Amino acid sequence: MTVNYGLYVPKQSGIHSLHPLTKLAYLGFCLAVSWVIPGTWTPYLVFLLGIVPLSALGQVLPNILSGAFKAVLPFAISLFVVQGFFWPEGTVLQQIGPFSLKEEGLFFAIRGAGRILMAVSTFLLLSYTTRPDELTLALGQLGVPNSIAYVILSTLQIIPRFQTKATTILDAQRSRGLETEGSLRVRARALLPLVLPLLLSSIVDIEERAIALEVRAFGRQGPKTSLLVLHDTPWQRLLRWLLLLAALGVIVWRIYAALAPRFLS
Amino acid sequence: MIHLRDVTYFYPRATVPALAGLSLDVPAGQFCAVIGANGAGKSTLCYTLAGFVPHFYRGKLTGQVEVAGVDVPAASLAAIAGQVGLVFANPFNQITGARFTVREEIAFGLENLGVPLDEMRARIDDILSFAKLTELAERSPFALSGGQQQRLAIASVLVMRPPLVVLDEPTSQLDPIGSKEVFAVLRDLAATDEATVVLAEQKLEWVAVFADRVIVLHEGRIVADGPPGDVLASGDLTQYGLQPTRYTQAARAALAAGLRRDSAELPVTLEEAVEYFK
Repeated sequence: MTVNYGLYVPKQSGIHSLHPLTKLAYLGFCLAVSWVIPGTWTPYLVFLLGIVPLSALGQVLPNILSGAFKAVLPFAISLFVVQGFFWPEGTVLQQIGPFSLKEEGLFFAIRGAGRILMAVSTFLLLSYTTRPDELTLALGQLGVPNSIAYVILSTLQIIPRFQTKATTILDAQRSRGLETEGSLRVRARALLPLVLPLLLSSIVDIEERAIALEVRAFGRQGPKTSLLVLHDTPWQRLLRWLLLLAALGVIVWRIYAALAPRFLS
Repeated sequence: MIHLRDVTYFYPRATVPALAGLSLDVPAGQFCAVIGANGAGKSTLCYTLAGFVPHFYRGKLTGQVEVAGVDVPAASLAAIAGQVGLVFANPFNQITGARFTVREEIAFGLENLGVPLDEMRARIDDILSFAKLTELAERSPFALSGGQQQRLAIASVLVMRPPLVVLDEPTSQLDPIGSKEVFAVLRDLAATDEATVVLAEQKLEWVAVFADRVIVLHEGRIVADGPPGDVLASGDLTQYGLQPTRYTQAARAALAAGLRRDSAELPVTLEEAVEYFK
């Protein structure tokens, strides 16, 4: 088995070698712009101008497109149905039996799907081009607690082991004659002999792993070092600050624009 | 290095003590094996030395526990962590899951201790070759065999250079080949004399080869204590639920059959057996 880095797609690219926080700042900026600036097509424009070129540079464009499509489609469909047809009142575009498709609802759904598209694609772009341990290291250097980094990293590695164990228990119980296929009642009855051993053995595992972590000084306070070294440059640091300021600026401007008319009148 | 005085310990809700008035002194540099039947208190003793009794398991501990100059009941687990390294039976559960390669897994403890990068790299390279893991350094820790994982667990603890290393039946869940690999590492460890080692183990033939001292635990008490040749050849082992090594058994059978009349010391290792039967 090779090293499992979760969603990470190992490639040699300028995007891959950027500092994780630079990517995070850029994606945060894109997300802020797409969510905050009004306009039905704003998220799609940001996606085309902000996400697609970077994905291409990072050689993960096909992954982003297929991943985003799969994740967004169910949301888009339900948004379209719920908002398009059940918008309280507005311009009726099309009457289908008792249901009427309304323009305002349709535009709302398009914008909503665009926002979800942006949320999904920024997450995917970060995950595809950033090793999880580099991301958690960068977050740790920002002051995010160690235990959160541990949860993120160990989930990637221990969940697959958990699945292997579940399969082992399933096979073991089947070989002792447990019926796991058939009617709902048969399946329901099989649940307890499967879940109980998995749960109990996992509790023992967790206890032992907690001990192993303590032995390795995980609970120690004070400065920590890292074998992994993040590559950072002055211009990236500058860029991060600029992006952060720009994102804040966009949000502040939007709040001002929304509130100003009320105060001025 | 280890100073235990009248240590009695009850697990939560237990009515029988797991350790019953146990006293033990181990000087620095000694390789000390602890043997005993299941339930004799071997694991509890190991957890006491590493501070998990009473800090992790709670329960009631009385008596004096001092390890590597640390007053264990009074110290925090974090303070004990750099002083006592603990390795236990299940190799899989000792992998943190927070690192992606064998090299990074070994680095985890050093990172937490704040060891500078250059020193960290040098120490990792040393320990990789000591535990014969150099070729596996860039592999996923989860892709290793049980024996390799256990050597990784030992390396991950040794690289932190704790004055005391405690191993609780490190080969009990391994196949014979994996056990052999782990014992090879332990033998090298015994040869270095750098660390003080306490090894709880059931496989007496291995204990006989490299322990400086053997302690027999029975019902939470020390019932025998001495050099491996004396303790392992003693006739009392069976009453504590232990089986003497096959070399001792063979020698005893030979004595009983009248093949050997001399009252020479009974062998406990292969070499001694060869000598004995010459």
